[in-house]
Formats: sequence, C-alpha cells, structure tokens
Amino acid sequence: MTAADPLLRIEDVSRAFGGVYAVRDVSLSVAEGETRAVIGPNGAGKSTLFNMISGHLTADHGTVHYTPATDGGVGLPQRIDRFSAHRRARLGIAIVFQGARLFHRMTALENVMVGAHARTRHGFLSAALRLPGHHREEAAITADALAALERVGLKDWAHRSADVLPLGQQRALQVARALCARPRLLLLDEPASGLRAGEREALAQLIESLRQEGLTMMLIEHDVAFVTRLADRITVLDLGREIAEGTPREIRDNEAVLAAYLGQESAA
Amino acid sequence: MNHPVREGEMKQVTLRPATATTPAPGPGLAARLRRPRVLAVLVVSVVALLLPQLLAGSDVAVYVTLLLSAIVVTGLSMLMGYAGQVSLGHAAFYLIGAYTAALSATHDIPTWLGLAAAPLTAAVIAALIGIPLLKLRGHQLAFATLAMQLILLNIVGQNEWAGGDIGLQGVPRLTVAGYEFASTSSYAYLALGALALVVLVARNVIASRPGRGLRALATSEVAAESAGVPVVAYKLAVFSLSAGFAGLAGGIYAFYTGYVAPGSFPVLLSFEFVVMAVIGGLGTIWGALVGAAAITLLLQQLNELGTAEGMPGYAPAVMSYAVYGVLLILVVLYLPRGLVPSAQGWWERRRAAKDGGGG
Repeated sequence: MTAADPLLRIEDVSRAFGGVYAVRDVSLSVAEGETRAVIGPNGAGKSTLFNMISGHLTADHGTVHYTPATDGGVGLPQRIDRFSAHRRARLGIAIVFQGARLFHRMTALENVMVGAHARTRHGFLSAALRLPGHHREEAAITADALAALERVGLKDWAHRSADVLPLGQQRALQVARALCARPRLLLLDEPASGLRAGEREALAQLIESLRQEGLTMMLIEHDVAFVTRLADRITVLDLGREIAEGTPREIRDNEAVLAAYLGQESAA
Repeated sequence: MNHPVREGEMKQVTLRPATATTPAPGPGLAARLRRPRVLAVLVVSVVALLLPQLLAGSDVAVYVTLLLSAIVVTGLSMLMGYAGQVSLGHAAFYLIGAYTAALSATHDIPTWLGLAAAPLTAAVIAALIGIPLLKLRGHQLAFATLAMQLILLNIVGQNEWAGGDIGLQGVPRLTVAGYEFASTSSYAYLALGALALVVLVARNVIASRPGRGLRALATSEVAAESAGVPVVAYKLAVFSLSAGFAGLAGGIYAFYTGYVAPGSFPVLLSFEFVVMAVIGGLGTIWGALVGAAAITLLLQQLNELGTAEGMPGYAPAVMSYAVYGVLLILVVLYLPRGLVPSAQGWWERRRAAKDGGGG
C-alpha cells in the first residue's frame, strides 16, 4: 500500500428503496488508523451507508474499495462492493449493529467465539472427525474470546447465557464479538444509544484505547460531545447526501450542518 | 499491527451447550450440571445395548424402526433447528439410501460398499438440489423436498431397473468382513452403532466452530454473516449432512428388510420425521431421540388398535394423520420448544429455585 491508498474508499455510492434515495452519490475515504464519525439527522442514510460497507446491502451505483492485509503487510486496494458480507468479514471488516443482535441460546463466550469465524477455517469435516488441528484452533479461539470479553469487562459473564445480559452488556458483548475477529476496520452503528452514563464512559474509553492501538473505526453517533471527543474526522449526511466533512472543529462551525440540524429540530 | 485481542492465557474452557434459562452457572455449577448428563448418556447406552436381548422378537423389530427413525430425525432436527428450513420430503433421502444399497447389492457389489454408498449418494443429491433451493427465502425447501419425494416415488415406481411398484426383492444380507448380519437383533446393534456414529458427528459439529456458526445463524442470519459465517454454505452443509444421515438409515433398512418398494417410503413417513423432530425439540440431539422413541411407540400402539378386528383397512393411516395433527397442535400450544428443551427448562428453574431461593 502506498501512503496514498486509504483503507477504505467509497466513490459515488447510491442506494434507493422504492424510488427514494437513502444514500445518494456519497464519496469518502478513511485512512488507516483513523476514527471517522458519521453523523446526521434521522433518516440521513448513515446505517444504509454502513450496510453497504459491511456488505448487507449492495449499492445501486458506485464503488467501494478496501485495502486488505496480506501475509507480509498490506495489499492493493480491492473493489469489494459485490462481495458478500461474510467475505468482507474475512477481509477484516467487522460491524456492531445498532440493536442488540445477540445469538440466542448460546453463552456470552460462545457468542464472542462466533466472531472468530472471520479468521479461522476449520469446518464440518474437521469438527465431525475431531482432527488435531481442530482442537488447537478451538483452544486459540477460546483464549481470544476470553481476552475480548475481559477487554469489554464481561469476563465474569463468560459462561452465562447471553440472553440474560442487560442491554449495556449486550452492546459490550457485540463489541467483544467484533474484536474477536481482529478487524482492520470496525464499524460501530450507534454503540452508545440506550446506554447509561457509566456504560457510555466505559465504551468511550474502550474506543479511545482501540484508537490508540491504531484500529481504524467508523462510528455513527448522535451525541456531539461523544463524537467530538473520539473522532479524527466527521462526515455529515443529510437526506442521503454528504453535506460536510472535516475535523470536529470544522464541522462545529459549518453552516450547512447547523442548518440541517436546526431544520430537523424545528420540524420536530 | 493492532491486535485488540491479546494472545496468551490459554485457558481450557469447557463448552456446555447453552440453554435459554441457564441460571448463572459458575464453573462449579457447570461441573455439577455435567454429571447428570454423563450419567444419562451412560444409562441410556446400557439400556439401549441390553434391549435387543431383553425384548421379544417382534418388539426387536419395533426397536430397529425406532433406531432408524432416530438416525433420520437427528439430522432433520439439526436442519430445522439451525438452518430454519423444513424438509417435508426427508423420507426421499431415506428412499435414496435404501435404493442405493438395494441396487448395488442386487448388482453383485459388496454389501458393505452399498451401505457406505447409501449416505454418500443421499448427501450428494441433497447438496445438488440444495444449491438452487437454499438461496431462496421462505419455505421453498419444504415444498421442493416434498415435490422431490413425489417425483422420486414416481421414478422408482415406473422404472424396470428400480423394480417398479413391486420394488427390489431379494436384497442379500449385509456382510462386513465375513460376518453376516442375519438376525433382527444383529440389525438392532447395527442401527445402534449407526445411531451412535450419527449422534457423535452431530454433537461434534454442534459444539465446534461450524456448530457455533449454525447456532448463530439460527438467531440472526445477518449478524452471523457479518461475523464471517457463510450462511448459504452452512445451510447447504447441514441439509446435506441431514440427508446423509437419512441415507445411512435407508441403507440399513434395505439390508434389514431384504426388499425395497415405493410403498415403504410414503409422504406420511416424511411427516412422521418432522413430527418426531418438533415434538422432541428442534436442534437438540436428546430431543431427536426422545421424539423418535415417543412417536414410534405411539404408532406401534395405534397400529395394533388400527389393525384390530372390525377396523377398516384405512384405519391405521387415518389414525396416524389424526394423531400427528393433534400432537403437533398440543406441542406447539403448550410446549413450543418441544419435550426435551421444556423439560430442561423446568429442571433448571427448579434447581435455581432450590439453589438461590429464586435467583
């Protein structure tokens, strides 16, 4: 990767639902190690944009390029907008969904272990026959999952059913699952919504430490203070279009942004 | 590079299958919970091994039927419980296994090879028809498998090479390494061995990486996909695996009865497998075993009643349909998770109440 290649480059992506554009001609680039916030009023197309990066939605037009890691270092940018979600996960893109999407009837630990799917390989045959490689991989996944649980403060919950976790812990569990994939790009869709003050602070500290480790993150969030504290740059969407991009300071003074938010408030 | 997850700290962790209502088990409780499980497996295994010796001749035949059903239902329960797909034609794979074994055995191919080919053929055919079907949403697989069974019944019923309506007669007895499986109880042990193999494979799969992927996609395909689970491929794999189990049971059936005919694989048999899986509890191995046992024994009683003097010829079939209907409604209404998960939930609630005064 040359210094010019960003980790993620989105060009002119659009996506419409029933003739209405949710995202229209949005372009943005995210550099490796950057924390990018995506903000905007409700219905701005933030989640749709994230889903086109993670692969749960395909863009109607436009391209998404991503620079995956290779054995030696980093490879060349690859066009990924037609890849399935699980293929993108294998390339190192992980997402934490807005709602709590836990896997039922599994322990917290098992939930997190699912996250390792993206970077492990032993399949049905290996599992059915209990091949030696299977045991090694299972032990490694278990250790990684426990470490991820510890990191989000859920180690004591490891062997409890994920279904009994309170909301705050459910969100943390999703983050742990994403971390267990050892992602290169972590997408966080409103990770702080519905959390209590203490949980928000713990989440902010976690994001901050991940940022210091150099993990590239994209973050959808409504709380401006939260975003200003954590993001290197902010992209602002309104009605599916990108209306501004810049540092938190630049965005705070941007008139188009103020207009979009004020317009929403007067309408509400 | 940024590896948020630290290496090291290789702790050996015992993975228990989680249930919905696990009441905060620490490692201590986990260890205690394991013991009744091990005990249950031991007791059931010993009883299962003794039964062919203890039962009267005709009851051993019922026992073989029960075991063969349990093999099929173990796979079907995985398919329905994890992939969220219903196969209304699983007897078709039973048929494929039986005809594969019967055709190869009547063409002078070694019988053990025919038995090995039975599950493989069924699994390959399932994989081929599953590729287009599993990409679709909803219940296409249910209808397509039902249609497939009807088509297959027609094919084998109308073709000379498959013996037509009369079927293939005179299938030789299974011979493995010079030992001929001749008695009913020898087939009981064969079916028991096959069931043990199937249960072991199912358990190994469920408690490992692909199993976690399957259990995850049972909750949310979107979330599983984003964690790197290839959802379509996994559904295909579990469909193919369940068909392979059914094919294995079919292969044993062919050697056991000595003939195969279209009449042995009615659509009703497919429904029977589905009812067994639902009543026992989807996605659990114990559920499959309990469901197969309960329905087989119930059908046996009904059959005796239906073939009693004065009963019309259609009585057994009509009564089976009626009983399936009533049982399904009762289970869906009162035990929607099935017998085994409901019993587990009750047991754990009781234990929780005892341990912590209602924690």
